[in-house]
Amino acid sequence: MTHRSPRLNRWIVFVAVLLMLVGFGSGAGSVMAAEKIIKIGTIFPLTGPVATAGQRCQAAVQTAVEIINNKHPEIKVPLAKQEGILNGYKIVLVHADSQGKPDVGKSEAERLLNQEGVWALIGSYNSSVSKPASFVAERMKRIFMCGASSSAALTQRDMNYFFRLAPTDKTESIEFVDVLKWMNKTKKANVKTIGIIYENSEFGKHAAEEAKMAAAAGGFKVVADVPFSPGATNLNSEVQTLKKSNPDALFGAVLGADYSLLVRTMKQMAWLPNIAINYCSGYQDPVITKQLAGDADFFMGSTAYSPQFASLMPAVAAVEKIFKSKTGGVPFDGDSIQEAVAMLVLAQAIEKAGSLDPDKVAKTLYANTWDSPLSLGGKVAFVKGGQNIKAQSIVTQLQGGQYKRIYPEEMADTKIIFPMKPWGKR
Amino acid sequence: MQRKALNKKDALWLGFVVLLALLPLAPVVAANSFHMHVAILILLFASMAQAWNIIGGYCGQVSFGHSVFFGIGAYGAGMAVVTYGGTPWPGILIGVMLAAAIAVVISYPCFKLSGHYFAIATFAIVEIFHRTFLVWDWVGGALGLDYPLVKEGLKNLMWYDTKTGYYYCALILFLLIFGVVRWLEGHRFGYYMRAVREGQETAESLGVNSTAVKLAAMALSAALTALCGAFFVQYNLRVDTPMVMSLDMSMKFVLITVLGGSGTLVGPLLGAAVLIPLQEYSRALWGGLGGGVDLIIFGLLIILIVVKQPAGMIGIIRDIGKRVLKQKSAAKGDSADGTP
Repeated sequence: MTHRSPRLNRWIVFVAVLLMLVGFGSGAGSVMAAEKIIKIGTIFPLTGPVATAGQRCQAAVQTAVEIINNKHPEIKVPLAKQEGILNGYKIVLVHADSQGKPDVGKSEAERLLNQEGVWALIGSYNSSVSKPASFVAERMKRIFMCGASSSAALTQRDMNYFFRLAPTDKTESIEFVDVLKWMNKTKKANVKTIGIIYENSEFGKHAAEEAKMAAAAGGFKVVADVPFSPGATNLNSEVQTLKKSNPDALFGAVLGADYSLLVRTMKQMAWLPNIAINYCSGYQDPVITKQLAGDADFFMGSTAYSPQFASLMPAVAAVEKIFKSKTGGVPFDGDSIQEAVAMLVLAQAIEKAGSLDPDKVAKTLYANTWDSPLSLGGKVAFVKGGQNIKAQSIVTQLQGGQYKRIYPEEMADTKIIFPMKPWGKR
Repeated sequence: MQRKALNKKDALWLGFVVLLALLPLAPVVAANSFHMHVAILILLFASMAQAWNIIGGYCGQVSFGHSVFFGIGAYGAGMAVVTYGGTPWPGILIGVMLAAAIAVVISYPCFKLSGHYFAIATFAIVEIFHRTFLVWDWVGGALGLDYPLVKEGLKNLMWYDTKTGYYYCALILFLLIFGVVRWLEGHRFGYYMRAVREGQETAESLGVNSTAVKLAAMALSAALTALCGAFFVQYNLRVDTPMVMSLDMSMKFVLITVLGGSGTLVGPLLGAAVLIPLQEYSRALWGGLGGGVDLIIFGLLIILIVVKQPAGMIGIIRDIGKRVLKQKSAAKGDSADGTP
């Protein structure tokens, strides 16, 4: 009898374990398919530069599924009082990591739909990932619910199965310019020039283009157009360019850690515009007030949700309790809450359609206005292309680490501090 | 003229290729497009690594700039379809020729550097191209190029409902690039490349024009890399700069070849056959857990392989082969002794 060497045996065991794991992964899906369940796939950037945001989005969808699958009489959102949908169907999530890369997002969408057999997809935070991933779903006639991606181009593709909850960069750009006009009219702010800093990505580039169009329409002059590479380690030259142009107002399309870096660099270079407004992501990340402490104050941005909105959205508190248990105490932000809304609205549509036919559910999604206590304004309704026309955000200003509501005036709870307090006088 | 009989190595290759060609016919594989996706990526990344192997493995010039040529090929096809609304084929041709020309232009000054300095220069080139393409609106800038829905088929090199077409295209790409390298191995130019790798001064003293050899090897490598880039964009139906023209992508060329066995014909295939399934299946299994568990496991496995056998997978196979031979000869020796 011949004996294999221990080294060879180790390799054989390693390969066998790997094959078993692969086999287990693909087999698990078919077992679950026999039960009364609806599989929903999520695709978020769980690793990479915006991983924390992606992980919170994933936790938000999990929170929504927990509410849908179990009885929660204490929660005042649709479907919370019943157990499951369609007379006992439970939702099971299958998660995937896009790494923030379009090609990975696309292949994960294909895997979830083809191999895991998911019924619909939710994702993908990055607009550049949502685009190809939703393209896969559209070709396969599967619903793609998009919570937070804000590129206006996503809902300009005439797709039939794509639905986006968040306001677009276009809506926000117009809102920012309205804020400047309101400031000039009511506060004699004398804002004439705008600088734009944005990450060089699908999201940032689109936001900058919309900002330029809105500025031109509002009669403002764009004096600085400053792109940067996402995940930058240094923004000195970008801030130097802004400082040299010294615009009255600064619009930013800056995500995650880049936002903290931008504020720190502005402090280091001792420069501030009179007013700085950032598109939703980045500024409204609850982590930045911890990272930047007082330095984050007096910056502004559009916000779809903050814990300080409790009086406007009383139903959120009970849902947020579940969410916090999954995120180690971090509350919802405007992006993650949109993903929870995406899941809840999809479940409501399935229940109302009384069917798991994607065509019927898509038509139902279009045909109705949905109650959504987790959304500002409380309603969700989609128009051709899949945009939620009820999407709203409020322009807030950070004051003492709190997101204070500034604009529209009728929703304001605090007066704006203008101009921003100089670094040396804080 | 008498036909040359197939040697054992070529017969094995032929058998392997026939097996690959028949693979999509197996319903179990064809029905599950994720396995097919992994198979396509193995063939694509093996082809990319083999293209890099020409300059990096056979010619000994470690380039971290191959994502530039990959990107040029990708943008060639992408612009032909998205910007000009045609088929990708003219764009592929232009991309391949442009990549070869650019390779010569940027390599000529870089080849005056040697060893680590050459490698560092190629790093810088990726960064220059990356930033330029990112702000260049004609090529789509930061928004990238998204493919429209057009008729699927070979004419548009695009399929939506099945991956079989992509699989056979990847197989043809693989055969083409491996065929070129197999031919080079036995050709005079292949010997020149290896002579330059082993010692530039020695090669020159024997009459080899090392600069011309390196430039020709780089041009060929770049052209084949661009071809892979064109396939990549047709497969993903989108191209943007971070996807194709990044240091991350450049590292994949080097990693797969070094892991499989640099400067050998089968090395790139072995590297891709190990790395790509590891990357894809580990992400499928553990990616959803968050926190990069799949990437940690992936990284640990690479470390394990490199530590166990620095010569790569080819070294592991050689080790196993030697051990089997040793055991066989030991068994023969035992019987000769008459011991049980």
